[in-house]
Amino acid sequence: MPLETFKSSKSLTMGVELELQLVNTYDMDLSSSANDLLELLRRKPFPGVVTPEMTQSMIEIATDIQTEHGPLLAQLREIRDTLVKAGDRLNIEIAGGGTHPFQRWFEQRIFSKPRFQELSGLYGYLAKQFTVFGQHVHIGCASPDEALFLLHSLNRYVPHFIALSASSPFSQGVDTLFDSARLNSVFAFPLSGRAPFMLSWEEFANVYFTKMESTGVVKSMKDFYWDIRPKPEYGTIELRVCDTPLTVERAAGLACYLQALCRHLLERNEPPPEEDDYLVYTYNRFQACRFGLDGMMVNPKTREQISIREDILATLRHLGPHAEALNSQAALDEIERTAARDGNHASYLRKQFAQSGSVEGVVRASVEALRSGPA
Amino acid sequence: MVTDFSFLFQTMAWPLVLLLAWFLAERCYELWHIPRVSSYVAVGLLGGLLNLPGLTGDVPGLPFLANVALSLVLFELGYRINLRWFRHNPWVLLLGVVESILTFALIYAVTGWFDLAVDVRLIIAALSISTSPAGIVRVANELRSAGQVTERVLHLCAINCLMSVLALKLVVGYWYLSTSGDLVLAAFGSIHVLATSVAVGALLGVVVPWLLRQRGTHERSVTVVFALAVLLLTTMSYGLKLSPLLAALTFGIVARERRVHLTNAQRDFGTAGDLLSVFLFVYIASLLNWADVGTGALLGALLIVVRAASKVGCSLAAARLSGITERKGLLTGLALTPMSAFAILLLEQTRIYGFAPAVQVLSAMAGMMLVQELLGPVVTQRALMAAHETHVTKEG
Repeated sequence: MPLETFKSSKSLTMGVELELQLVNTYDMDLSSSANDLLELLRRKPFPGVVTPEMTQSMIEIATDIQTEHGPLLAQLREIRDTLVKAGDRLNIEIAGGGTHPFQRWFEQRIFSKPRFQELSGLYGYLAKQFTVFGQHVHIGCASPDEALFLLHSLNRYVPHFIALSASSPFSQGVDTLFDSARLNSVFAFPLSGRAPFMLSWEEFANVYFTKMESTGVVKSMKDFYWDIRPKPEYGTIELRVCDTPLTVERAAGLACYLQALCRHLLERNEPPPEEDDYLVYTYNRFQACRFGLDGMMVNPKTREQISIREDILATLRHLGPHAEALNSQAALDEIERTAARDGNHASYLRKQFAQSGSVEGVVRASVEALRSGPA
Repeated sequence: MVTDFSFLFQTMAWPLVLLLAWFLAERCYELWHIPRVSSYVAVGLLGGLLNLPGLTGDVPGLPFLANVALSLVLFELGYRINLRWFRHNPWVLLLGVVESILTFALIYAVTGWFDLAVDVRLIIAALSISTSPAGIVRVANELRSAGQVTERVLHLCAINCLMSVLALKLVVGYWYLSTSGDLVLAAFGSIHVLATSVAVGALLGVVVPWLLRQRGTHERSVTVVFALAVLLLTTMSYGLKLSPLLAALTFGIVARERRVHLTNAQRDFGTAGDLLSVFLFVYIASLLNWADVGTGALLGALLIVVRAASKVGCSLAAARLSGITERKGLLTGLALTPMSAFAILLLEQTRIYGFAPAVQVLSAMAGMMLVQELLGPVVTQRALMAAHETHVTKEG
């Protein structure tokens, strides 16, 4: 089956998807309660979309197509409040964060939907290690070529999003020393990583995808776990490297940072993307995963080392006019505070661990952060 | 030599029976997925039937040990109770209370058809409210089950146990009043026991977590400290003639509110908990007098049907209101079937403190106990499986 045609959508529109953890209230372990929660949520109209995910202890929410920070954040808050209220009725807590700090994956049940069963059959223990929680941001693109241009232009900014969103320092009960342990799980999948360097959709769909399909390795775009991938049926590119932050405020901030960045890139004042940009890609990505905002990245064009924090702050300085045009100054302020002062949620969780002395205390802190807004 | 042999046999009977029970339970679980506790009960029942020396005799200390074992379970149950949930979803609390009252009333009415004294009928009704925490907690943990049925069964079980103790103590108070006319003794029999048991449990629930916080104790040690505290609570309750079960349940509920986290590796109190639970179920089952089972068969059957109908009916009626499907409501009601370990120990306790009709009640309820103990855990297990809340799901 050939790749479906790229459905054009309005440039710079955005949509946010968050994978959230369901946690029991007594020992803070993951709770296999997605069915119960979804059943309760079905009774009333939901302010967005809510769907089951890979395991019973995860649900995914998605916003409508949004153009501005204000309405996006308002919808995310409404979704959060609806979820928290439903969770309260069922004695389930809901939390952000890229990993559950101490869940033992072999105790999680794989959701009983044919595609997921198939995945777990294929990937074995990896599928269960895939009990990680990410934020996906979609950005609307007017044409498929614009999508591929943005996808590859963004390569040098991917570490920003990893470092800013990182919220998974703990895994299997220990501090992994990574700010985003989640991405290590994602990288284990054979079709993860970067998209092949192609700027023409024609070539991507009819040459690359057709060849890949003929190998039998993939059937649809869903089989690629790329950091950024085109989503032809929505007419978007989807950034998939972010951990689910602890708060919806941070989630909205990240989405709008991406939106402003795309607006900047579409002005095409930056040097165009090229294959050689990817020479430093995995190195930068590792630095962001491991050290977060303190990581060092290499600028693919100038080959200079700069701390990710500095690079974000420098980038923000170019985005002022775009934030004004997109009405997203508040979002960029949130990003600037994170980079310059507050740190990402991984460092917040480490502080909580130091205070409470237990990984259960870390989950408790995540639960409360989601409920009560900015941590 | 003969006496030596019989002495030896007596001392060895217990541990041998427990070993047998353990092996049998593991095997039956592997082969047919029979809940382990049901196998323990079966072995205990057989032991009682064969009248094994040392098993059925009044070995001193065994009731105490059984109380410790059950108190550990009640602590764990209490620890899983989230009081704030009742605020967010009052239907669960209301369901528990209404169902308890209805069960009491129905059972009292039904027992009127039999030739039983009023105080015996009242006690049967009070005990019928209870659900076996040991049976339910064990089965739920064995399956690692999680979900609304599990959550509700545990909360309702705690409410049932509380209501049952409350009802029983009131009945006992009433009995003292009617037999002796002594109001002080009557008050002692009920209000003092209830209030002091709760107070002692609550006090420990505050003090122990506080101590643990001072020490910054390691997770594994937390379990040990809680287990020892439960032991202390049981001895104290014996000394002060309180209800160790009520005290342990309160201890768990309050300790949880103080937020010291038990790790999930320590569910069931680890290996020590496993050991005590083998003993608990075998022992409780061996207490049943088989002669009573035959005579009380009709009463037993009726009690089972009425009790189950009340629990299932109420749970079904409240399902939608409390946020779950009717199917899950039905399964919740069914999962509440196990009864007895709690009821029997409660009754034992009452008997030890000088309550005469206790023996009569035990014999009247023998038939019911037998079935509930043996098959109750199976019903709970199947209900949790049907609700797809168990670890292993194989549906398409």
